[in-house]
Amino acid sequence: MAKVTIYTTPTCVYCKMAKAFFAQNNVSYEEKNVATDLAAREEMVNKSHQLGVPVIDVDNSIVIGFDQRTLEQLLGIGAKAA
Amino acid sequence: MYDLIIIGGGPGGVAAGVYAARKKINAAVITDSFGGQSLVSNGIENWIGTRSISGFDLAKSLEDHLRAQTGIDIIEGELVTGVTKRDDGTFVVATRGGKTLETKYVLLASGSRRRRLGVPGENEFDGKGVVFCTTCDAPLFGGKTVAVVGGGNSALEGVLDVLQYAPKVYLLVRSEVLRGDPVTQEKVKSHPNVEVMWNTVVTEIRGGGQPPFVNGIKYKNVKTGEEKDLALDGVFIEIGLTPNSDFVKDLVRLDEYGHVVVDHKTQQTSCPGIWAAGDVSDVLYDQNNISVGDAIKATLNIYDKIKKS
Repeated sequence: MAKVTIYTTPTCVYCKMAKAFFAQNNVSYEEKNVATDLAAREEMVNKSHQLGVPVIDVDNSIVIGFDQRTLEQLLGIGAKAA
Repeated sequence: MYDLIIIGGGPGGVAAGVYAARKKINAAVITDSFGGQSLVSNGIENWIGTRSISGFDLAKSLEDHLRAQTGIDIIEGELVTGVTKRDDGTFVVATRGGKTLETKYVLLASGSRRRRLGVPGENEFDGKGVVFCTTCDAPLFGGKTVAVVGGGNSALEGVLDVLQYAPKVYLLVRSEVLRGDPVTQEKVKSHPNVEVMWNTVVTEIRGGGQPPFVNGIKYKNVKTGEEKDLALDGVFIEIGLTPNSDFVKDLVRLDEYGHVVVDHKTQQTSCPGIWAAGDVSDVLYDQNNISVGDAIKATLNIYDKIKKS
């Protein structure tokens, strides 16, 4: 199973959407709150060159924003049945 | 061939979808995602029938209500890129994912999106100090100097959000007045850490370092024409919205801001067979509750048309 880390702030709705997406697809993940965890914030900036959440690390592939299509590809999740 | 394609998954698009299903109209809803622009709102206090709901929960409840309907197709994760009218009066709707769908009628409920400044550096530093979701990213600017650009409610609320973290906030206002709620205006103007700069527009966003991040802006006083530099770490852009009408601009009449002009009794546009409702239309007030009502008005008018044909 892929190692997934999501960098979030508590007020970010796209982070909530990403976490809901993980829950729905039984993807386990580690969450790092970069609003308070400064080491995690630095880690996020180094990985993504971004100062904006969410940043999602799937086995060292960096996804910026809640990009469901890319996450589905990286995690091998089939598109939702219509 | 559908009878109706509804474009949009905000309150208007969902309301139209629910009514279309209940009227047994052969219809589809196409949307990138559900919830509309309120999605990022922490608390919506004026959604009638609900004391307070987050944008996220509103989106979930809208999606759930639509998915509970039978007999309507829901195409999620697709943006509409083009609508063309054929000689027989029917339409072809094309999506970014390469789908083409045929329909007799179209309801535009595509809402609006955040307006951009259109200055050098804005795209380059998006996510590198340029912020379009203040509630999301304000907590990352602890100890930093930032500017909020805009003069309306979203800019004022953005200032209050970011003040929780940043010790110095410039508010850059193009005119000499603030719009937005008087109570919020007072809070912003009287705060010791806020400096309001009137008659001011951003002309360039600059950055540096490795990896590159915003380190300043160039701004201009529109009265004096004087240009100056300002060192800062973040630029929060809250200058309002622009309607998602690009894909029909050759088919329907738009006003000077890009809103689709409608007959407010029926929501019909200048192009027979196309209706519009909500923020994409030239409605006077952009409100979730109004979008719902206008989209229903449009759907019922379309239903009348289908019955007669």
